[in-house]
Parts: sequence; structure tokens; C-alpha cells
Amino acid sequence: MTTTTNLDLPAGAAAPGRGLRTAARITATELRLFLREPGALVGLVAFPAVTVLVLAGVFGSSPEPEFAGVRPSEHYVVGYVGVVLAHIGLVALPVHVASRRELGVVRRYRASGVGAGAMLASHAAIGIVLGIAAGAIVLVAGGTVYDVSVPDDPAAVVAWFGAGLVCFVALGIALGTLMPGSRAANAVGNLLFVPMFLLGGGGPPREVMTGPMQAISDVLPLSHVIGGLRMSWLGATDDPQALWWTMLVTAIAVALALRSAHRHVG
Amino acid sequence: MTATTTATGPGAGRPDADGDRVVVVRDLVKRYGADEAVRGVTFDVRRGELFGLVGTNGAGKTTTVEILQGLRRPSGGHVRVLGLDPAAQGDRLRQRIGAQLQDAALPDRLRVGEALRLFASLHPSPRPIGELADEWDLGRLLRRPFAGLSGGERQRLFVALALVSRPEVVFLDELTQNLDPVGRRRTWDVVRRVRDAGTTVVLVTHDVEEAERLCDRIVVMHCGRVVADGTPASIVESLGGEATVRFTDGELDVRPLRDVPGVRAVHRHGPEVHVTGTGAVLAHVGAHLVAAGRPAADLRIERPTLEDRFVALTQEA
Repeated sequence: MTTTTNLDLPAGAAAPGRGLRTAARITATELRLFLREPGALVGLVAFPAVTVLVLAGVFGSSPEPEFAGVRPSEHYVVGYVGVVLAHIGLVALPVHVASRRELGVVRRYRASGVGAGAMLASHAAIGIVLGIAAGAIVLVAGGTVYDVSVPDDPAAVVAWFGAGLVCFVALGIALGTLMPGSRAANAVGNLLFVPMFLLGGGGPPREVMTGPMQAISDVLPLSHVIGGLRMSWLGATDDPQALWWTMLVTAIAVALALRSAHRHVG
Repeated sequence: MTATTTATGPGAGRPDADGDRVVVVRDLVKRYGADEAVRGVTFDVRRGELFGLVGTNGAGKTTTVEILQGLRRPSGGHVRVLGLDPAAQGDRLRQRIGAQLQDAALPDRLRVGEALRLFASLHPSPRPIGELADEWDLGRLLRRPFAGLSGGERQRLFVALALVSRPEVVFLDELTQNLDPVGRRRTWDVVRRVRDAGTTVVLVTHDVEEAERLCDRIVVMHCGRVVADGTPASIVESLGGEATVRFTDGELDVRPLRDVPGVRAVHRHGPEVHVTGTGAVLAHVGAHLVAAGRPAADLRIERPTLEDRFVALTQEA
């Protein structure tokens, strides 16, 4: 007798405990490999540290009206915590995810019984660890040189950092699973990152932007993450800070990532 | 012509009833848009067998085995591996099978030892790393990164990873590509040992010699269809079992040879005589030459090979 195979192919969820252990082992291995990549280390450590030191130094350490009355050095150091999350989410993570699929590494894992959930969890864990490390590097480098004050509302800082981290990691996995290969991921990621960096809080202060620039800035998730960080840390900012918008972007990114997960692991 | 078709044998109507069959494929179809890569393929693989899926490039072999592993969705048909539906129970299935994939890689900086340990850690009772490393000659490479391995070394590593979980069925896709002749023969010996230890082996290859030397039974695929299914000997035999006896004698009258038992045709090519026939044609022709007082020093017989049959099958199709 011939039957027709059901085409609704599930990822075949494995036992949750085993899936998490699998994700943890792959993550640990991938992070170890990351430390062996000189280029990646430069991108994670040197680039954000040097950039924040230069930019924060250019505008000085006296409170300025264009910076909502806070010191420009603090404005940039705190803002760059968000910028590095965006760089990891829009460039580093998509390239990593797409290249692992492109080279056949994901297929190799999949053939050994690693489920789609474990694979995505591992990608997410890598993004989270790198995001925390990069944020800490920016704060240590910038805070040490420019004497950044303690946060006004530490709990809100942690909450905004967490929201930004989840948002950009989700965007990174969505981009990585959607892009056909690492070159496309790199191109599209940079295309998204550069304007987001310039108009989303890493470039000129909102006060000096033109009307159209401000309108674009308002829809960029990075503007809201950086706005939230600056408000909760420094107590003043002109940047937008809508948590609901950040969460909405996160939800869309998660939905896209889950939708393209089968293609990624299949 | 199909030499033996197991699909029409007893139990074909109840494909999962026979526990001896670890792979059951019925009328498998795979389409990519308008292209049909696999067109109604049917075969079985029995427990403990060294089974070969043979065909030219683009025959649909790799697509078929990737469906068997749950790595691709079938467009239609019925597939069971170890009693599980690969499409719906893929992760459970992949805990019980091993796979060496044709298109797969590892991160460039991952070392051989790390790869073996990582993949071993994904399974409940893996084989000891040292034992696998010795078996596949990876011991001296344990600290070498994947990017620094030669094609053959990568291939050996992938086979070791396929076997680390003590699989019940292992799929080996183009196993010996990139291996030198010595490495190829060594690999064949180890694959035989894997089968002898009780693991069912599904070997996917376009190398007919490899299939003939290694496999207990083969399925020949061409253009997405099964064109032959049987033992290598039975498929060769399906040519009609004819052999050609050759010898050199420029002065022999060849006409009486036509009356020798088993002889079907006699041709002279200059001093060389070709006698085509079946059964004990060599013995009869030799006896005739001795009786005629003209024993040939270079009397020899040539039988068709699986490669001859493979070429004929793929050209017929």
C-alpha cells in the first residue's frame, strides 16, 4: 500500500533537557572557536573601545544643551553600549549564523540529531554572551577614561540593556536564517547597521538632526534602546525610549527567525 | 531489466511488518518545483546488510538518502527507517543512525579531537574517542584544526563522527571520494568490519567498483528511478551471463568452433579469435583446441563486470 507522507515536517522537538545540554555544548565550543579568531576579537574588543574613546573625547566633558544637558562623553559611552549590541545583532551574529549554514556545519550538527531548537538556542546564547562581553568592554574602557557617573536607576539600566540584547540577538538570528549566505548577511547587515548607528544614537545628537532624520530615528529600535539606557543612566536625553516598540520589533524578529528555522537547519 | 525486485516480494503490502527490514521505501517522490529528482523509488534494506545505492551524478541518490535521514521532505511516497517516519520523527531517528554527508563541514578552527569529543557528547553512550581515532587513523591529527586537514583526512573524520554514536544504521555518501587508492582499500576494510560488527551500512556511491567489491546488495538509480535491484552478481548475470573466450591462432579454422557446446558466436580479428558463449564455454573451447592439436598458450576468458552492466543500464534508461 502506498501512502502519502505528511509534508508538515516538524523540527522534531527533542526532550527539553537534552536540547538545552546540546545547545550548551555547541555554544561552549563555538565561543572557544571565537577566541581563536583574531579578526572577531578585534571586532568585539578593539573596535568599540577605540571608537567610544575617540567620539567621547571629541565633544568634551562639559554638559552641553545639544546633549540634553549631560556631558557628551557620558552621552556617548552609555550610548555605545547600545551600539555594540546593534553591531553584534545586525552584523556579527547574522554572518556567523549564515556562514555555519553555508559551510554545511548546521547540516553536520543536524545529521547528529541536534534539533532546530537546540541550534537556535545555541545561536542565541552566543549572541547574548558576546553582547554582554562587548557592553562590558565599552563601559570599562569608556567609564575608566571619562569617569562616567553611576546609573540613576540601575534596575532600569539592566532592564533596557536586557531588552536591547534580546531585540538585537533576535534580529541577528532572523537575518542569519533568512540570508542566503554569509556575504549577503554581511552586506545587508552593514546596510542596516550604518544608518542605524548614525541616526540611532551613535552619531550626532538628536538635537542637531534635521526633521526627516529625526523621523527615521524614531522608527529605529536602536534609538529607543539607547534612549532608554541614557534616560535610566544619566537622567536626561532627547532620544525616544518606547519599550513597547522595542518589544514589537523583537516579536517580529522572533517570528521571522522561527519561520525560517526549518530552512536554516534543513 | 531488473535483476531482483525485493519490493514485490512477500510482505511488500505490509512494509513495516518485517522487522528484518530496517529501511523501507515505497514509491518515493521528490520534486523541486517542476523538476522531479526522485520518481517513484522503491527498495528495502535488511538488517546487517551492506547495501549500495549506486548511480551517476544527479541520479537522485543523495536526495533519497537525505530523505531517509529526515534532512529533506519527500513530496510523496512512504518511508520508514528503523520503523520511524524520518519526516515526522527525524530527531528520534537521528539518535539511532549515523551519517557521513556529501556536503558538510566543520568550523575551520575546530580541532579533530574537539570535534570527536563534541559529537560524542551529543549521544548517550558514544564509542571511546581513542578507539575511533585509532580505527580511522586520526590519532596523530587530534590537535589539528579542520581547515588544516587534507580531503582524505576530512573524509575519515566524518566517517568517525558518523560512527561515534554506535548507530544501528549508518549512511555513507560518496565515502571514498578524495581518498588515494591505499586509503580507499583501507576504508573498504573498515566498512566491512563495521558491517561485520552488526551495523547496517547504506553506501551511496557512483563508484561501481566500490559497490561491486563492498556491497551485499545494490540498487542502481538513474534519472530518479530504480533501474536494477539485486546482488552485484545477479545484476551482472542479468546481461545473460555471456562470457568471451579469447586466444591467438592465425591459422586455425574457426568454423568447427561454432558447434562446440555453449558457443553462441565466433569472430576472428586478424590472428585473434573471440568466442562468445555461456556456461562452461572456456572448458569446451580449450578441449576443442587440444583435440585439434592447436592448444592456445594465451587462452583466457572475459566476463562482463558490474560496470559493463551499469553502463548498459544507464544507457538503456
